[in-house]
Amino acid sequence: MTASASAAEIPSARRDFWAGARAVATLMPGAVLFGLAFGALVRVVGIDPVTGFMGSVMVQAGASQIAILEALRANAPAVIAVITAVVINARFALWSAAMAPIFAPFPTRWKLWLSYLMTDQSAVITLQHHERYPDPVRRRRFVHGAESTFVGVWLIGTAAGVTLGPVIPDAWQIGFIVPLMFISVLVPGLHGAPALVAVAVAAVTVVVAKDLPYGLNVLLGSLAGIAAGAFVPDRRRPDPHHPDDGLAHDAAAGE
Amino acid sequence: MTAFLIFLAAGIGTFAIRLSGVLLLRDRELPPRIAKGLSLVGPAAMAAIVANALLLDEGAWRGFGAWHLAALVAIGVAVWRRTSGVAMAAGAVAFAALLLAGL
Repeated sequence: MTASASAAEIPSARRDFWAGARAVATLMPGAVLFGLAFGALVRVVGIDPVTGFMGSVMVQAGASQIAILEALRANAPAVIAVITAVVINARFALWSAAMAPIFAPFPTRWKLWLSYLMTDQSAVITLQHHERYPDPVRRRRFVHGAESTFVGVWLIGTAAGVTLGPVIPDAWQIGFIVPLMFISVLVPGLHGAPALVAVAVAAVTVVVAKDLPYGLNVLLGSLAGIAAGAFVPDRRRPDPHHPDDGLAHDAAAGE
Repeated sequence: MTAFLIFLAAGIGTFAIRLSGVLLLRDRELPPRIAKGLSLVGPAAMAAIVANALLLDEGAWRGFGAWHLAALVAIGVAVWRRTSGVAMAAGAVAFAALLLAGL
């Protein structure tokens, strides 16, 4: 750092944290809406609102939380409810493996905390942006900013949902936010034959395996896409400094 | 109380899954094909989530309508503008318009 460097160039903990928050901000409306929907379902099923809110604190994965509520509503055995939720969340093993090299230099307590806060959306944002942060401390702050603010709005949405009850009419079909959110993140940066093959194989496998229970078709589709894409050669020589992960590295930030 | 314990058990199990790769793979040098596979987790998992949510409805085919058309708008804008915020806004506006039009 030279004396002529402007203040704007000086890395600060707050700036990296908020860069992470800004990068995930476009996906936050989806988290608020789904938090609202989950919270409203807590009221409909008749669960204590505080317990429902704590569900969002402890699990932080909307689809599996809704599956737990549906199991409770159907008077399913507790063990079935837990297993269903854990199977739905098995995809996090893939995100976790992808995060391993990114989190590798972090202290163990940060690995534990950032793994606890991991969501589909913040994992995607981390994969897109981590190369901008070769310094592990700055990278950790960025990841923390993306993860904690995203979970924060999920909890705010849940709190509003358990307080207000079902305020979103069914006719609005807010479920559409899920494909819309991931299309918006996936498509702008999609490039390279391996990533395109991974996407195509994953999508086809999901619909072919649609009769699998517990949403296992999503996990199977992901694995099939990854396996197929890994065997497709890159057209250009791989650049070790900019590994091609088939994702945009300039999208989403500050949009 | 039962609901709290179910959420707690599911939370512990999910945390273990979220931690699995981060702890087990930490400093290990991975074979190139595995490393390449990990780099495809993002596109593959997102495509799987999109296909499941868009094309299926609780395990059955979703009838063609506003969901598909608005998704096509979002994909088209995403390819054209290459920015996620604009694609998301376009998809949301298209979806709202299609619902209002009765689709």
